[in-house]
Amino acid sequence: MKTIKKLTREQRMKRTALFMLAPAIVFLALLIAFPLGKVVHDAFSHVHLINKSMSGFAGVENFKTIVSDEHFGQAVKNTISWTVFSVLGEYVLGMITAVLLNQKFKGRAIFRTCIFIPWLVPIIVAGMTWDWILNPEFGIINYALTSLNIIDAPINFLGDSRYAMATVIFVNIWRSFPYYTISFLSALQSVPGELSEAAAIDGAGIFKRFFCVTLPQLRSVSLVIVFIHIIWTAVNFDFIWVMTEGGPNYATETLPIMIYRYSMKKFDVGAASALSTMMFTIMVILFTVYYHKRSKLSDEMA
Amino acid sequence: MMLNKRNRRISKIVTYALLVIFSLYCIFPFIWMLISALKPKTEIRTATPTFLIQEPTLENFHRVLVDAGFLRYIKNSLFVSIAACLLSMVIAVMAGYALSRYYKLKAVKLSNLAMMLSQMIPGVLLLVPLYLIMQKLNILESYKSLILAYTTFVIPLCTFMMSSFFDTVPLALEEAAEIDGCNKAQTIFKVILPLSLPSLVSTGLYAFINAWNEFMFGYIFISTDEYRTLTPAIMLFKGVNTVDWGGLMAGSVVAVIPVTLIFLFLQRYFLAGLMSGSVKG
Repeated sequence: MKTIKKLTREQRMKRTALFMLAPAIVFLALLIAFPLGKVVHDAFSHVHLINKSMSGFAGVENFKTIVSDEHFGQAVKNTISWTVFSVLGEYVLGMITAVLLNQKFKGRAIFRTCIFIPWLVPIIVAGMTWDWILNPEFGIINYALTSLNIIDAPINFLGDSRYAMATVIFVNIWRSFPYYTISFLSALQSVPGELSEAAAIDGAGIFKRFFCVTLPQLRSVSLVIVFIHIIWTAVNFDFIWVMTEGGPNYATETLPIMIYRYSMKKFDVGAASALSTMMFTIMVILFTVYYHKRSKLSDEMA
Repeated sequence: MMLNKRNRRISKIVTYALLVIFSLYCIFPFIWMLISALKPKTEIRTATPTFLIQEPTLENFHRVLVDAGFLRYIKNSLFVSIAACLLSMVIAVMAGYALSRYYKLKAVKLSNLAMMLSQMIPGVLLLVPLYLIMQKLNILESYKSLILAYTTFVIPLCTFMMSSFFDTVPLALEEAAEIDGCNKAQTIFKVILPLSLPSLVSTGLYAFINAWNEFMFGYIFISTDEYRTLTPAIMLFKGVNTVDWGGLMAGSVVAVIPVTLIFLFLQRYFLAGLMSGSVKG
C-alpha cells in the first residue's frame, strides 16, 4: 500500500514538472534547437534562398566559399578587435563606476540611475544619436574639437576607415558598460565592508586595497559577465549594422555582418550557414573552457 | 587623525568629480538628442551648433509622428512588446517553478542545462532558418513572427529570474496551503504568485524592454509598413536621401521615453531581479 502511494506521488510530481516545463521546452525546441540543427545541416548542403533548384550535399564547399572570401580574414580580425576592446573597455569602466558607487554618500541613487540609462535604450537609438553627435558637418564633437584647436579639420569618425572601428567600439562601450557596473555593484554590496577597512587600518593604500581585497571578491561575477559579454559582443549584429553597415569599404565588417551579407544579400544560405556553424563551434569551445573554469572557481571558493 | 580627515575629504571630492564626469558621459547623448529634436531645421544644419535653442519647435515631432507614420510604428511596437512580455511571463513562471521545486528530477536538470545553452545562442546565427520557419508558418508579415522570436530568446533568463525567486519561498507555505485543501494550481495562483510580485515585475520588464529594443528580427521579418515596429522604422527613416537629423532625433526621443519612464519608476525591482537571474544563468 505504502509503496504504491509513494510511487504515485513521485509520478504526480514528474507529471507536474513536465507539464510546467512543456511550453518553455516547445519554444526552445522549435525556435532554437531545430533551427540550430538546420544551420548545421545547411552548412553541408547547397541551399539558395531564391534559386530553389540548387540542392544536394555540398561537402565542405560552403566552408571553402567562406574562407576564400577576400574579406574573410579582415572580418575575423575585426571581430576579434571589436570583441576584445569592447569587453576590455566595458570591464574597466564598469569596475571604476562600481567601486565609486559602492561608497556611502549623498546622491548615490541619482548617479546610479544616470549611469544605468544607456543600457536601457535601443541599440539603434544609441547608434543614431552618436552618429549625429559625431557628424563631420554639423556634429557637436567635431565643432568642440576644432574650436578648442585639438584638431585642425573635422574628422569623419564613421566614414573614415581609420577611425570607424574605434568609433563603433567606443559607442558599444558607452551602451554596455552599465551592465557591468550594476553587476559588480551588487556583488560588492554583498561583501562586508570591514575587510577593506581592516586593510586600510593595516596601512594598505587605496590601490593595494582595490587589487588585494576588492578585486579577488569579484572573481566569480567577473567570469560570468566577461564570458557572456564576449559571446554577446562577438555575435552582435545591430550595433555595427546601424552605424556603418560594415563599411566604409569593409573596415567594420564582423562575422555576423558577413552572415547577413551572405544570407540576405547574396541569398547563399549554404555559405551563411557554414559561417554560422564555424562561429557556433568556437562558442562551444569557449563555453567548455568557461564551464571548466567556473566549476574550478566554485571548488576553490567552497 | 588630521591627515585622515583631509584624506577623506579629498577622496570624497574625487568620488563626486569622477561620478559627475561619468554621469555626463552617460547622459549627454540624451540631452543632445532632446535639444536637437526641438530645434528647427536651420539650427540643426549649422556648423556651429549650440546648446541654446533660438526658436524651439515641435515640428520635428509632428513630421515624424504624423507625416512619417511613427504613431503606427509605436502602436505596433507596444502591441508586440506587451504580447511578448505576457507570453514570456507565463512560460517563465511555469518553467521557473519547475526548476525551483523539482530540481532533483533528471528531466528538470536536463532542461536547466538546455536553457543555459540556449541563453548562449544568439539570434543572428539562427537568422536564416528562423526566417524560413516563419515563412513556412506563413507569419512573416505579421506580429506573430516577432512575438514568437522575442519570447523565445528571453525565456532562459526570465526563467532563471523566476526560479531564483521561487527558491526563496519556503516550502512550508505550499504545504500549508495543500493541507488547507488547495490543489497545485490554486496554491500557485493564491499563495505563490501574490508573493512574487516584485519578481514578476522585473521579469516582465526585462521581456518588455528586450522586445521594445530589438532591431534585427523586426528589420528582417517585416517589410510592410503595416506591421513595422519602431526600431527598424528609425533605421529606414535615416536611409531617405539627405538625413533628416531633427526628425531622427525626435523619433529617438519617442523610442527612449517609454523604457526610461518605466525604469525610473520600477528600477529597484528591475535591478534586483536582473541580477538574481544573470548570476544563476
